[in-house]
Amino acid sequence: MTKKIHPSIEKFKKDLDSGKINRREFVRFATLLGVSAVAATQMAGIVALPTTASAATAKRGGTLRIAGPVQKVTHPAQFSWITPTNQLRQVAEYLTYSDENNVTHPYLLKNWEVSDDLKTWTLNLRKGIKFNNGDEFVADDVMFTFNQWMDKAVGSSMKGMIGAYLPANGIEKINDYQVKLHLSAAEIGVPEHLFHYPAMILNHRTFKGDFIKAPHGTGPYTLETYVEGERCVLKRRDDYWKKDTDGSQLPYIDKIEYIDMGTEMTPMIAALKSGEIDFIDFSDLGGTEAFQSLKKDSGVNVYGVATNQTRILRMRVDLKPWDDNRVRQALKLCQHRQKILALAYFGQGLLGQDVHVSPKHPEYSPIETPAYNPAKAKQLLKEAGYPNGLEVNLVVGNGWKEIVRYAEVLQQDAAPAGFKINIVSMPNSQYWEKWTEVDLGITTWAHRPIGTMVLNLAYVGDENGKPASWNESRWVDKEFSTLLKKANGTLDVEKRRKIFAKLEKIQQDRGSIANAFWINQWVITTKRVQNVVAHPSLYLNASDMWLNS
Amino acid sequence: MFLVSMAVFMIVESSPGNVAKNILGAFITPEQEASFLKQQGFDKPLTSRYISWFTGSDWVAEMKIGHPLKRITTEKGYQEWWVESENGNLLQWNLKGEDLFVTILEQNGNIKEVIDNDRWQKDKKGISHFWGVSNKNSAVKWEKGSAKETWNYVYGRGWGKTTGGPVEYIPLKKGFLRGDPGISLRTGRPVAKSLFVRLRNSLVLAGIAFVIVMPLALILGIIAGLKEGSLQDRILSITGMSFSVIPEFATGIFLILIMSTWLDLVPGATVFGEKAPWERPDMLILPVLTLTLIELGYVLRITRASMAEVMRSAYIRTAYLKGLPSFKVIFVHAVRNALIAPITVIMLHVNWLMGGIVIVEVVFGYPGLGQYLLDSALYKDINAIEAGTMIMVMIAVGTQLIADILYTFLNPRIRYS
Repeated sequence: MTKKIHPSIEKFKKDLDSGKINRREFVRFATLLGVSAVAATQMAGIVALPTTASAATAKRGGTLRIAGPVQKVTHPAQFSWITPTNQLRQVAEYLTYSDENNVTHPYLLKNWEVSDDLKTWTLNLRKGIKFNNGDEFVADDVMFTFNQWMDKAVGSSMKGMIGAYLPANGIEKINDYQVKLHLSAAEIGVPEHLFHYPAMILNHRTFKGDFIKAPHGTGPYTLETYVEGERCVLKRRDDYWKKDTDGSQLPYIDKIEYIDMGTEMTPMIAALKSGEIDFIDFSDLGGTEAFQSLKKDSGVNVYGVATNQTRILRMRVDLKPWDDNRVRQALKLCQHRQKILALAYFGQGLLGQDVHVSPKHPEYSPIETPAYNPAKAKQLLKEAGYPNGLEVNLVVGNGWKEIVRYAEVLQQDAAPAGFKINIVSMPNSQYWEKWTEVDLGITTWAHRPIGTMVLNLAYVGDENGKPASWNESRWVDKEFSTLLKKANGTLDVEKRRKIFAKLEKIQQDRGSIANAFWINQWVITTKRVQNVVAHPSLYLNASDMWLNS
Repeated sequence: MFLVSMAVFMIVESSPGNVAKNILGAFITPEQEASFLKQQGFDKPLTSRYISWFTGSDWVAEMKIGHPLKRITTEKGYQEWWVESENGNLLQWNLKGEDLFVTILEQNGNIKEVIDNDRWQKDKKGISHFWGVSNKNSAVKWEKGSAKETWNYVYGRGWGKTTGGPVEYIPLKKGFLRGDPGISLRTGRPVAKSLFVRLRNSLVLAGIAFVIVMPLALILGIIAGLKEGSLQDRILSITGMSFSVIPEFATGIFLILIMSTWLDLVPGATVFGEKAPWERPDMLILPVLTLTLIELGYVLRITRASMAEVMRSAYIRTAYLKGLPSFKVIFVHAVRNALIAPITVIMLHVNWLMGGIVIVEVVFGYPGLGQYLLDSALYKDINAIEAGTMIMVMIAVGTQLIADILYTFLNPRIRYS
């Protein structure tokens, strides 16, 4: 528990009592500011959130068999796919843990404290944690891992994320169990960033650039075999630091076996049905096909979760005709959202509002969902100088079936407005080669727990005012950027939401993107797998799962 | 084979796709991409890459380094390249900041790391160079004192400004000629290791299918061909034909639906994990059945046509007229001649079974050579594609040789004099 409670907590508590924020938001923001989740949930009057299992009901032993790609990995900080992290997050762990409700808890940290100006973060490490090779987990490991992220030679995506506000000399070791971060700019997303998937804590004594050769982490399992393209075997360790609610040792499952079955879903579905595997790791493969064929199967459990993942129809504002906002608005008006969601994703998601802030983001401010209006779109096109309509090429990756269907529905519905859309389809790998370059295309965007994270990536300029590297639509709006900067340093959830109301309005009125829906994700397992939690990023946490025989 | 290997190299080279993005993900930075391509030797011209794939790159590196190189396999099965010094110790280098460190693996197995700055060689411009072997199995040219400045973190010393760094890489391999097809870019493992298991799995599947389908098809074909137009001929021909015209992915999926999902008799996918295919024969049933149905009709019809033709020929009638019992006519005179055409087809089909089962492998998730080649092709993993193709070519050439030898036994007229 923190010694000193951040002054803002009091205010949040009042907001909660007066009904201005709901419990989930209170817990989220309180934990962000260093109150442990248990304390926060007690203040909010609900039962403890991270429900780990109890030995009374759980069974020990067994092998969990998972189908999923076993890729080449060397340096965890360089991860660019989720599946390898799901294999190795059973071996190495993170400082924090963002749960399925987007609430971030301390994990390898005991807690954190933040200064009032949000610029000094004190990380207090949990004591008595041991790496699986016997080394103790200390501040040196945190220092080492942070510096690996910041090292240009490592090339970690963490550098882009935290490097924006954390200078290389801003990481300070206070003692063996305390590290201070001195930020150059106020930031509230630090705990979330520490759970970004490349942020695994490495052992500073043994790590030499290849984790597979020295797989020393603090996690519940040890790496037994790792054969790329074939399989990955994880074995339970006896001295893991986490205990269940009865105080008995975690994890329950003896062995986890990942089997690489290629990328074709059919054999994996067949293997799950016949019980040859218990679980399919959809994190990099996509689970729609499996969901469609297994949703009515009585032999499996389907766990759904709403996510902040979306498909963004983005228009490059530095190129004709998309430099004209009237043309952009016209195309946005051509989306029949309910129809797109129903046909492209079987109705399994939430409607989008041409704003890259999800209804599941804590600071989301409700905004009107624009209706399908081809007449108005036609009028706008005419005003923009295209009275006879406009022919455009829409680039899609054909591996994403929902994107192809999104494009096809739009193609039909935009025709009455005068848009002639030619769908240019290509393999996903080729789309990724030019995703920032095409003038009109649909890009997939991953789940991020807070709203500022994605806006800071894709809709701002760099220090010179040029579009940032992930700003695929080249849209930089002065008012938007100023407001966003303000939001990045605003603690009060109500004030933040007010800023977000403006941000959302700007993006809807003159932004460069359309998005028709936010997708759901699923975890599908055989009946014998218990205590499964569907995480919106499909992160796998096997430490408190168990298997019925 | 030499020509085929060149052709494959060219095709992969000219095909679209970016190997760095396929492997590292779509979101790598241009610097990461350039560094990856450089470390894998992709910045070199096509001809030199082909030569190093074919003949190896260690000899080039040896000339640059001036010491012999040695490849060892560690206890855990990792392949490592080291420089062999005069006293038999093995050396690898790495750069920390601006200091060169050498890792010495002594013959008794001890490993120590010491600073080794004496190796730098200064050129006229004041830039120091050194060619050595890194711990990532590459020969590397390090540089310091050049204009390029970067910030680097050295553990225990903190952040500092350094100049230079690694500027040129030669990924070390022995080359295809000496039995080392290199490292797979996709999996980072030696291609030879993965390929061996995949080839074995495919051989098991294709072998079982072959052993079942060929005698069956020949016998049924002979039965059908004995009496052209009879009821048994019609039934066999039509059934065989109908199965062979259905594409294998359809047959496979129907079989999964019927045998696995509805009847729940056998598993519908192949999941071996640590086990070898023959330890789980129940999983082989459906893939083998699919292959059998596809192959059966084809070979059956060829045998039938060939048999029917022989049965119509004059010498068979003579044999009958001469009063020989019909089993003797059929087995001694007819079958031997009727087998020539089917053998050609069968031998061509060994090839088809090895390469063409890719569809069956993908449908059932079978970890075979076909699937390995498909995955490698999707990733533009040049070393794996080349090695896989070479094996296919070898099998093709080999089976044709066997077919030619078999002819001479069946028909003495085509024996060499």
